[in-house]
Amino acid sequence: MDTVYILITGFLSVVLINNLVLTKFLGICPYLGVSGRIDMAFGMGLAVTFVMTLSGTLTWLIDHMVLMPLGLEVTRYVCFILVIASAVQLVEMYLRKFFPPLYDSFGIFLPLITTNCAILGLCLFLNLWGTDSLLEAVVLSVGGGIGFTMAICIMAGIRENLQMVDVPECLKGAPITLITAGILSLAFMGFAGII
Amino acid sequence: MMILASIVELLSSAWLAGLVMLGLGFAFAVVLLIAHEKLKVEVDPKIEQIHAALPNLDCGACGFAGCGGYAKGVLENPELIGKCSPGGADVSAKIAEILNLQVSESGPAKRPIVHCRAHTADRVYFAEYQGIPSCTAANALANAQACKFGCLGYGDCVRACKFDALHVVDGLATVDYTKCTGCTACSKACPRNLIEMVPFGHENMMTVACSSRENGKSTRAMCQVGCIGCKLCTKQSDAFTVEDNLARLDYSKYEPCGENEAALNKCPTGVIVHRGPTAPPPREPKAKQAAAKA
Repeated sequence: MDTVYILITGFLSVVLINNLVLTKFLGICPYLGVSGRIDMAFGMGLAVTFVMTLSGTLTWLIDHMVLMPLGLEVTRYVCFILVIASAVQLVEMYLRKFFPPLYDSFGIFLPLITTNCAILGLCLFLNLWGTDSLLEAVVLSVGGGIGFTMAICIMAGIRENLQMVDVPECLKGAPITLITAGILSLAFMGFAGII
Repeated sequence: MMILASIVELLSSAWLAGLVMLGLGFAFAVVLLIAHEKLKVEVDPKIEQIHAALPNLDCGACGFAGCGGYAKGVLENPELIGKCSPGGADVSAKIAEILNLQVSESGPAKRPIVHCRAHTADRVYFAEYQGIPSCTAANALANAQACKFGCLGYGDCVRACKFDALHVVDGLATVDYTKCTGCTACSKACPRNLIEMVPFGHENMMTVACSSRENGKSTRAMCQVGCIGCKLCTKQSDAFTVEDNLARLDYSKYEPCGENEAALNKCPTGVIVHRGPTAPPPREPKAKQAAAKA
């Protein structure tokens, strides 16, 4: 019962309270770059969720099975980046085969998931938060991905509606997007301290 | 001696790290290579060739999102040859050559004609519109501009045009036919469907530049240069018909002949005009001419 409780609170925490994008300001580049339309944002969210789940789980395994027993913690970053880059390459090949329009619309932002700080951040947080079971690592990785998907979809929904609005000339484009992101982040601050 | 010893010590602990990195790198490389084999995408070299022959404007006239989509589409379905209006006959011929086909003769290139000729001074306004400066928004509200059919002049078509070929001049969308490629973006953007794609069989075409289906009296009350459905043009030339209080020209019958010119000159509101790259300016309506004489 205790483990289930920990898993549920951990999941809620990483999705809402410690949302990687909105409270830790990680992974902002696709969050601003691919949030113009909601279908693209959802695709990006799924791609990041997949990469995050895969790399979060694999890096935890590598960290605990290989690096820590052999005392090779210094090579942690290199190994993690290797895992993430391979996962992104897999996603790229998969999208190119089965979702060519989505692949075209992502453009440069798809390979840029490789250096998405939300993903490396999560892999390092798993270590930092002292995650000590594989199940916990998987749940937190999935949660991180779902949190990212939620944040980018909310942002895309707002930005789609913003296109209908008469935005002042000086705020058009990037400024209004950043202001929106700021207000959204402010809203999510309300979840702080719930758990 | 000390230095040598420390180097040996470093190397003896480094081989393990190197081995781990090598192992991991090898494992992932194998996974990726297998995935590459399984998920290979075959690209027909003809798609690249067709894409290179296209104008690469991504205007969307063909119905695809961009030139890349059209290149793929035309390869699968050669009936789509000729849909690229910016490219015109040249591009159709090139695509046909790549696909080893013959192009049948298509009709004259289509160009947009705005079915309104009223500038701000010619129109009647009930109120001042202060909302979002877009035709779609203005059209959704109750009429600030009296005429429910005419050009609103907030430039949705201007924003849709990728070729700088449309401008709002004194409240009327005006096509620059020297720059226009016939991509149909403007005719799709207009919320009042004022912009018709017309086959330009001659350098300049004649048209009825009005869309008002109100009766003559109401049209005249709303606009100085609207079509009042008086049928004078139909008596001069067979190419004109009047339906729902609105004259229309059958473009397939149009020739720049005396009969059509006579119809243009008889029109009491001057709503029959020439449109094209070297079109003469439209005639003033009879009422204005009389006022100028007096």
